[in-house]
Amino acid sequence: MTLAAPPSTLVAPRALLRPDRAQALAGAVGALALWQLAALALAGSYLLAGPVDVVRYLSANWGLISRALGITLENAVLGFVAGNLAAVALALIVALAPRARMVVSAVALVVFCLPLVATGPILRVLYGPGPGPQITLAALAVYYTTFIPLLVGLRAAPASWFDLVALYGRGAWTAFVQIRLMAALPYLLAGLQIAAPAAFLGAMVGEFTGAERGMGVLALRAMRALDVEATWAIASVAAAVAMVAYGLVGWLSRATALARPELLVALPPVPGAGGAGRRWLGNAGMVAITLLVLIGGWWLAMEAFGLNRFFAKRPDDLWAFLVSAPNAAENRALLRDASAQSLVYLVPGYLAGLGLGAALAMVLVLAPGLAGAVLPVAVALRSVPIVTTAPLIVLALGRGAAGTITIVAVMIFFPALVACLQGLRQTPGQVMDVMATYGAGPFTRLWQARIPAMLPAFFAAARMSVPAAVLAITVAEWLATGTGLGNLMALTASTSNYNLLWSAVVLVALGSALGYAAVGALERAVLARVAPEQLRD
Amino acid sequence: MAERATTGPAIRCTALAKRFGAGAGAVDAVAPLDLTFKAGAMTALVGPSGCGKSTVLRMVAGLEAPTAGEIDMGGESPAQMQAQGAMAMAFQDASLLPWRSVRGNVALARKLARQPADTDAVDAMIARVGLAGFEAAKPAALSGGMRQRVAIARCLVTQPRVLLLDEPFGAVDELTRRRLNVELPPLWQAAGSTTLLVTHSVSEAVTLADRVVVFSSRPAQVVADIAIPPDATPGSDSFDALVTRVSAELARGWDEAGADAKAAAQ
Ligand SMILES: Nc1ncnc2c1ncn2[C@@H]1O[C@H](COP(=O)(O)OP(=O)(O)O)[C@@H](O)[C@H]1O
Ligand SMILES: [Mg+2]
Repeated sequence: MTLAAPPSTLVAPRALLRPDRAQALAGAVGALALWQLAALALAGSYLLAGPVDVVRYLSANWGLISRALGITLENAVLGFVAGNLAAVALALIVALAPRARMVVSAVALVVFCLPLVATGPILRVLYGPGPGPQITLAALAVYYTTFIPLLVGLRAAPASWFDLVALYGRGAWTAFVQIRLMAALPYLLAGLQIAAPAAFLGAMVGEFTGAERGMGVLALRAMRALDVEATWAIASVAAAVAMVAYGLVGWLSRATALARPELLVALPPVPGAGGAGRRWLGNAGMVAITLLVLIGGWWLAMEAFGLNRFFAKRPDDLWAFLVSAPNAAENRALLRDASAQSLVYLVPGYLAGLGLGAALAMVLVLAPGLAGAVLPVAVALRSVPIVTTAPLIVLALGRGAAGTITIVAVMIFFPALVACLQGLRQTPGQVMDVMATYGAGPFTRLWQARIPAMLPAFFAAARMSVPAAVLAITVAEWLATGTGLGNLMALTASTSNYNLLWSAVVLVALGSALGYAAVGALERAVLARVAPEQLRD
Repeated sequence: MAERATTGPAIRCTALAKRFGAGAGAVDAVAPLDLTFKAGAMTALVGPSGCGKSTVLRMVAGLEAPTAGEIDMGGESPAQMQAQGAMAMAFQDASLLPWRSVRGNVALARKLARQPADTDAVDAMIARVGLAGFEAAKPAALSGGMRQRVAIARCLVTQPRVLLLDEPFGAVDELTRRRLNVELPPLWQAAGSTTLLVTHSVSEAVTLADRVVVFSSRPAQVVADIAIPPDATPGSDSFDALVTRVSAELARGWDEAGADAKAAAQ
């Protein structure tokens, strides 16, 4: 039994996450001041409400807001619990049956990539009125970001710990209880911390789809009425809740004194030994099994619950709709055009968010004092749900290309910035010392030492940004632009064109999963050249 | 804590061999090896790094299955010894569980060995390795030397009949190593275990052991087998002579292996 700690997991020094309190406070105050100044500068333009306006609105409408908040929180908590239990169950399955790992991870990824925008309305039809869709969407939004760290954590123990257990004649069960579970706990907490704000986002999106009460309902109403103060106030409350949830789990992990890894979702290892040909065959086999499981599971779920074929489409319905029906070509053209419209905004937004995040991280590393102030603010803003920022950006930049691309970029910018900053600080101290001995300047150090050290973190962010960007673009199209796949899904949900809706869902989910896999392949290719030690399993 | 008078069993290795992998990439880590380690004594194993010392220890511990040959400990196999909780092992890194306190780490060994929980015995052992007052500390708060003391306490608290030490002080600084070499041996001598010590330090081997076995480069074969008389204490002439002799044997094992490799390449 040899289990090396997976190298693709990056553990940042804890000090990074608890930077000097004074700097953090300065950062927070600075951000608030900038916000207020911007509001003053734009006064009268009905774009931006400042912190003072927000506080005034909240105190005037606190009864309404607090009731809505209570409802959404309740659904978010239920979804959080359900989703994380599912993640733990999946991780245990993989821990007990390691061969299932690739297929379980792939299926989990595709399900995670299901567009909330479409699953919301579908769940609404399935559940009818009530909190079902909100809770389910919250669960769907959290389980993947818990599942993956847990997978890593269950393997993250040095071989000698297992030797210790074996030496006393104890078996796999003891090793599991005494070593694996305990070693996985910090990873679980790292996952839960990301999950906490995501659950709130999921619950809010669920409320968009025809709930009667909750923060999502208020947000939608405020945005439709172009009520700037209400929109900003609701967004601020949602953002505050997300930050508090993030902070709370962080505090919990510190209080339990568990060394908490700042975890980047790890790259799944390349399966199988042997030549490139055999590996390729192995991968093709995995993909085939994954597709079989997905299609079979989908079909079984529909049949098991006896769901009505009118809205609960089966795989063969979509086959007819897209391939064998007389108007299949038209249907495909609809999807193709909508995809093209989405990609035009998605790709620039994705690249801009990622690039700007990495660029700012590099600038900040050259000015360490500033980084101490910016990082906590970025960590906080990273947890702000897209459904709260999207309406604000639409208010400010309009419903055209600028607004849409910005929504996607913002969604990716903060996670990328945080990951890259953490990656940059991964640079081994000795390497920096060697650089210093040769009198290397800051740019040489950045280029020769820090950027290579940053790459794994950068790619981890780039991978997770793919589903995030797809979520952002579909939400933006649905709420604002009236184009692309997001709009198509919203329209078809309201016009009951369920064949088209389900086709779009499958397209988006598979597209996101493929994009994720493509970034993963690029990551392997680059890391193989720059940091081969990161690729060992 | 009750002293145990019984000594550990003799360890008899017969035609013991280990090959890792198969086909062209196979590595012979241990050539067929016949060795008997005396009951209750401490034997040091020294040899070039990568020669198979750890592999020998891991086979005795039952953590690695021999490719050929047998290991007998007073009529019992490694698996039987494991099942009785009769062995203990220390590794180069202390391998403490970071979420358990010093006391928790030491107590874990008793639990794994299916011995009744006994906080007094645990605390007494912690005190004997010089860590009284640190019972509740987590490993992260300890220095490297202190962690190795905990690892030794964890080994001894189960009163093992066989004690396997794989470079236990390899990762601590020289000063700490010397202190541990003075303070800890009386503990395991009192325990009466049959002890195998792998070390890189020739003087440590001569100081601590009753006998030093010198291995050749991989695959491990015995180059020299040197008894250390009790009067060879550090500073004495006989000690210096023994250190010189073991070092010379080490160099010889190294050279021969190099020559073999050259011959094989031609
Ligand atoms: N699990 C393993 N798989 C393959 N080769 C191994 C394994 N363990 C050890 N080896 C090889 O066996 C040889 C002896 O290793 P080891 O016993 O650890 O040496 P030592 O402890 O004397 O330094 C080395 O060449 C090492 O690479
Ligand atoms: Mg070794």
